[in-house]
Amino acid sequence: MKDTLHLMAVYTRTTAKAWFQYRIDAVLRSLAVFLREATGIIVIWLTLMKFDTLNGWDIYEMFFLFSLLFLTYGIMIIFFTGLRDFGRTVRDGSFDRFILRPRGLLFQIVFANSDWFAAIGHGGLGLVLFLISAGKVGIKWDMFSVVYYIFTILGGVLIQGAVFLLLAALNIYLLQTDSLKAMIYWNMRKFAGYPISIFNKVIQIIMIYVMPFAFVNYFPAQYLLRKSDMAAYPKVYMYLTPIIGILMYLAAYLFWRFSIRFYKSSGN
Amino acid sequence: MSFIEVKNIKKTYHVSKRRSGIPGMIANLFVPKYEKREAVKDISFSIEKGEMVGFIGPNGAGKSTTIKMLSGILYPDSGEIICSGAVPYKQRKNYVGRIGVVFGQKSQLQWDLPVKDSFELLKAIYRIPDDTYRKNLDRFTEMLDMSGFIDQPVRQLSLGQRMRSDIAAALLHSPEIVFFDEPTIGVDVLGKEAIRSFIRELNAEDNVTMIFTTHDMQDIEKTCNRVIIIDEGSKVYDGTLMGVREKYGSSRKLEVEFMTDTVTEPIEGVETVDTDPRHKSFIFGKEIHINDIMAELLQKYSVRDINITESDIESIIRKIYSKEETV
Repeated sequence: MKDTLHLMAVYTRTTAKAWFQYRIDAVLRSLAVFLREATGIIVIWLTLMKFDTLNGWDIYEMFFLFSLLFLTYGIMIIFFTGLRDFGRTVRDGSFDRFILRPRGLLFQIVFANSDWFAAIGHGGLGLVLFLISAGKVGIKWDMFSVVYYIFTILGGVLIQGAVFLLLAALNIYLLQTDSLKAMIYWNMRKFAGYPISIFNKVIQIIMIYVMPFAFVNYFPAQYLLRKSDMAAYPKVYMYLTPIIGILMYLAAYLFWRFSIRFYKSSGN
Repeated sequence: MSFIEVKNIKKTYHVSKRRSGIPGMIANLFVPKYEKREAVKDISFSIEKGEMVGFIGPNGAGKSTTIKMLSGILYPDSGEIICSGAVPYKQRKNYVGRIGVVFGQKSQLQWDLPVKDSFELLKAIYRIPDDTYRKNLDRFTEMLDMSGFIDQPVRQLSLGQRMRSDIAAALLHSPEIVFFDEPTIGVDVLGKEAIRSFIRELNAEDNVTMIFTTHDMQDIEKTCNRVIIIDEGSKVYDGTLMGVREKYGSSRKLEVEFMTDTVTEPIEGVETVDTDPRHKSFIFGKEIHINDIMAELLQKYSVRDINITESDIESIIRKIYSKEETV
């Protein structure tokens, strides 16, 4: 255990050191991610100035909804960069090197690389949105809601991590899953910034049961904000985020363990 | 029971067969066609502790697949491998901690960081005790002459320096078996020599078992006492390098320079090649005694100079690959 923590520390130090080799570039790239994502938010803000509310949600409540999405992604990507890039790792043969080292494969993938640019860009935006909105949406920040919030974030991280892990495992069979990821993750994520009650039934079903972004931000936000459009969904959904996160991650992990046996080295 | 035992291993890849043209591409998408390719057909061998063995064979012969099975990256479809008491692909963590692998084409160093940082990371990954790490680092730095660039980022190193660093990286944890996959590729002559002498020294001092794959026959000649030739997934030769010459490279060449322009009579069983009127080469097989030809030539003609060459190992190997009849 102590030895594992030590290795984690050395990995982190190495990644950070490589990152600081190009200091200005590091800052600019984080800023670029931040601005790219913030642009989308600004567009929504400008649109909402005309409408006041969207299905009963005002702009601060929307910001709060968004902040959950960005915060969970920012934390998730610190740990799952290696899974995001796993396709490349397999294709260029770097995965062989992981196999040749006496450590757990998933452990190495997770800790050997962290995209701090994405983490700071997304996480920073999430934090900014949270700070803007948290005081203005009528949440009473007591012990209970803080604990609920922390579990929600962890659940949201696990849900998205599970999708990345599943796609990484599929890579072993398909070698290339980037377009699949674009389809089921990134496209669905575009819907996730809005209250899902504004969409038609098909999209709602996908967002709840297929790529469950609704549990990353919509249902937890409902628990804290209690908007009237929650009436359309079972109340219990507001409490499921951590459980769904754990179950999805477990299922993805088992699939990963099963798939890894089929790994074929890409040859040279 | 040898140190490394390989029995009847087989490995077949299922390669998707691509059809050409746009209709073909669409067909591929819906009904992919697979083709079996037997990369390794039925290979067995055993290696003793401390041996230096070179695997050679043309591209696609099955060398890499064999090495990947030995190092635990791939499962064989059937057959058995036991290396140093472990089954590589089953007891991965236990086994890979005791081996080192150098891929000449693929560095394991951190590109943007000084060489030493990569070494520190490996120290943590392999749980190398402080004193072992220190001892190995000092020793390799000296033997491979790395002190000049160990604090430089890898991206600034020459190919030869990078290769030396990579070799040191693979050996820091004092492995029992080291696999070298083209360890001198792209390195200049002096660099190659430095790497080879380091490898020899390490083998002599620590009795490390070493397995090579390379296309550079010089690597093999200067380091290995045994070669295994693999072609089309099967082992075609296993023995000493001298043995290769005896078995396949039976031809010898006598180059003669005459005092004056000379026309020679044909000699039975000997191929005569005229270079110019004063220079001729005589190529002949094992069945002809060199003394007989020399005697005949010296008796009949006035000879200024004679030079005998064995066919070099590279051309012998080339012949084996191209399945030419050996001359």
